[in-house]
Amino acid sequence: MENRLDQFVRLSALLTGFAPLHLLGTGMAETYLRATDAALPDGVLDELLDAGSLPSAGSAPPTGSAVPGAPAQPGGSALAGGADPDAAAGQAIFGDAKLGPVARALILLWYRGAWTALPQEWRSAYGASPRDVDHVVSAEAYQAGLQWDAAGAHPAGARQQGYGAWASPPAALETESAPGTTGVRLPRQAGAPSVTEGARS
Amino acid sequence: MTEAAEHEEYDVVIAGAGVNGALIAKHLTHAGFRVLVLEAGPGSAWSLDGYSRHLDHFYAAASKGPESPWPPAVAAPQPDTADIRSGAGYFVQNGPDKYGSSYTRAQGGSTLHWLGVCLRMLPEDFELRSRFGVGHDWPLRYADLEPYYGRAEHEIGVAADVADQAHHGIEFPDGYDYPMRRIPLSFSDQVLADTIDGMRVTLEGESIALQVRSYPAGRNSVPRGAYRPVGAVDADVDRHDMITHLGERCAGNTSCTPICPIEAKYNAGKTLAQADRGKLRVLAQAVVSKVSVDPVSGMVDGIEYQRYADPASPRHTVHTARGRVYVLAAHAVENAKILLASGLGGGDSLIGKGLIDHPALYAWGLSPVPVGAYRGPLSTAGIEDLRGGAFRARHAAFRFDIGNDGWRATTGGPDSSVVDAVTNQGLYGTKLRAHLAATLPRHVRFSLAVEQLRSEANAVTIDPRHLDAMGNPRPVISYRIDDYTMGGMAAAAEAARQVFRQAGIADCTDPEAGGWFPSVRRDGEVFHYHGMGHFGGTHVMGHRAGESVVDTHQRSWEHRNLYVVGSGSFPTMGTSNPTLTMAALALRTAEHMTEALAARQPIRQGEPSGF
Ligand SMILES: Cc1cc2nc3c(=O)[nH]c(=O)nc-3n(C[C@H](O)[C@H](O)[C@H](O)COP(=O)(O)OP(=O)(O)OC[C@H]3O[C@@H](n4cnc5c(N)ncnc54)[C@H](O)[C@@H]3O)c2cc1C
Ligand code: SF4
Repeated sequence: MENRLDQFVRLSALLTGFAPLHLLGTGMAETYLRATDAALPDGVLDELLDAGSLPSAGSAPPTGSAVPGAPAQPGGSALAGGADPDAAAGQAIFGDAKLGPVARALILLWYRGAWTALPQEWRSAYGASPRDVDHVVSAEAYQAGLQWDAAGAHPAGARQQGYGAWASPPAALETESAPGTTGVRLPRQAGAPSVTEGARS
Repeated sequence: MTEAAEHEEYDVVIAGAGVNGALIAKHLTHAGFRVLVLEAGPGSAWSLDGYSRHLDHFYAAASKGPESPWPPAVAAPQPDTADIRSGAGYFVQNGPDKYGSSYTRAQGGSTLHWLGVCLRMLPEDFELRSRFGVGHDWPLRYADLEPYYGRAEHEIGVAADVADQAHHGIEFPDGYDYPMRRIPLSFSDQVLADTIDGMRVTLEGESIALQVRSYPAGRNSVPRGAYRPVGAVDADVDRHDMITHLGERCAGNTSCTPICPIEAKYNAGKTLAQADRGKLRVLAQAVVSKVSVDPVSGMVDGIEYQRYADPASPRHTVHTARGRVYVLAAHAVENAKILLASGLGGGDSLIGKGLIDHPALYAWGLSPVPVGAYRGPLSTAGIEDLRGGAFRARHAAFRFDIGNDGWRATTGGPDSSVVDAVTNQGLYGTKLRAHLAATLPRHVRFSLAVEQLRSEANAVTIDPRHLDAMGNPRPVISYRIDDYTMGGMAAAAEAARQVFRQAGIADCTDPEAGGWFPSVRRDGEVFHYHGMGHFGGTHVMGHRAGESVVDTHQRSWEHRNLYVVGSGSFPTMGTSNPTLTMAALALRTAEHMTEALAARQPIRQGEPSGF
């Protein structure tokens, strides 16, 4: 049987859009598992993990009540047909009043390295843990935030890119543009003067 | 507590180990004088270990504002921008407008968290009254300060190319160049320059062409000639020798404010470490509370300070330090506060009066193409073209700082954008990641720092009802942003809108969506502003005693062995960040003090007026 950490990482991959290997590479998975357990009432994370492992699409939400008008993923495809089990699991999770907010807090934890307190209504309905407060998990967690990777950047104050790296295109663009030029032009708006018209001050 | 410092004799006693105090200490010790530096805050940033602890504090801080790595001691509280909204905190804000800036009371001072912009003032900034009929003239001209600017650029270690910086009449001596080459322009600067360079905006009928321009930065880059960049320091000489090359080049940590992890950015600890250590004594955790004046001679005969052992407690002992000459270098607000607490203000005195800042607006947008935001020094370029011109007769000048830090300062990005995508847009998984990858690298930010003129109604005062835990007065601040500055704000906001429009950048400036900032209103237009940390004007310099607190050497008119140094001496501040100019003034002051001290016999006991 899959152990709980594996299950957590697999769910996290589904929620964050980063592969399990990438998530493990941050070194934060175990810490986040513990931080999430600590911030939730007993049993809630296990419910979420189970929901993340749903074998097929189209199932009813596992617990709680369906959220009317829960945000459907914009542009989400394949949700109804059951062709994509991840999408089905996602729909089950985010359509659920109890698990949706927890899943969102978990995404933010991975992206920011910080726990975001659950909404007050959620806590009234499902219980509150004393660790359910806004907090940066640790200095390492801040640095491991996926938001920096998503941005093609690095955490402010850490994982420095080296002298002058900022003068080059961000990694994602670099492959597309010729070396030595920005390779990118802002579209000059109609009516704006051209460079040559402007006297340098 | 035994206080050796009390029984020793010093030539010079300095309050404050910021950039001003450090520069004067360095030069006077090298000239052979014995110097005591009394520093209110802890000295932890002056060792590599201590500095690393501040860095960890920053990483773990929930909010990563300018003060986040630098928690104050109970004995030396400091303003925190997070308190502006609630009105709580160290400053007593008397209004009508909020003063939006902060400073750091720790050894090293506010350069621990500054950004490092090292612009010279424009020649016209020194002559505002004679050229434009507004504000005040300085008692010094650009030409008087020019040689000291050059020296200050070498003391701080400024990276720039003269070729970029000779604008608006700024002149450099033949053959001069900055000690290090300019910091490379960011990818974002390059993309923006492609469109902005040559663009025109009109101010008061004057059409002005814009250019994205590298600014001089107090960050280490590639040295010129024999110059050796100064990286991380440790007060312990042996340990210092073991630090090899750390911070001798900026490595792109993107956190200059609030803490450069590798000390590639200048901080005052570097200058203090270069003092003749055999002649220097630095006492941290020593809060200067008063200067004592001989009622007959008017000369200062001692400085009272409060020593504490535990930064978490206000328990302290009181001592007096004596020297021939005294220097207040405790920051514009604290200098005024110490003088007022000593009973030296009052009546027609200008002490504390004329407080200025650079209230600044943010403008932020989404570029149509990626600019690679969130990488590199928080900024590497600005637009300097609107800092000078005939329009200054009508409204304030302003300067664009072009951010590399995305929407961090404006909305709290990238975190705020992630929260928005997840919570409001309901994104998750690969769609979330793709959305962030497609938007975060397109974040653009300008800050528009606007000039402010001196008004005596804008003041730092003290009030016995408002004391800190040590019983020292908290600064009470009266502050109003006048029409001249709001005119500059309106022009700045309009210029930013024009630039965004012409560059095809979607203007996302929405103060409701961004972080909270104080605001002022004019003709129905609301300006949300933040302070730049550019305090000035609280002990103004001038040609005559009745019209100023200090002379052009920052020497007190009333107490001739007292120097009061820093941006408090500035009659106006133009649009340049003040530190390079105050460093130039400090070097000029140190030179003057050296001559004055050398001309006198060493002090004899019981002769406080020996200077
Ligand atoms: C976020 C931010 C960014 C900035 N960026 C720039 C920039 O890019 N360029 C620029 O030019 N400027 C910048 N500044 C301003 C710059 O930091 C200050 O102008 C400069 O550091 C002031 O130097 P100072 O020596 O006068 O005061 P400080 O640097 O504040 O030093 C004063 C010292 O005195 C000590 N002290 C205070 N009270 C007492 C007391 N009672 N007894 C003994 N010691 C005392 C303090 O602890 C401190 O060590 C910035 C400021 C902020 C807040
Ligand atoms: S970009 Fe980074 S390394 Fe460079 S000065 Fe700023 S904080 Fe230091």
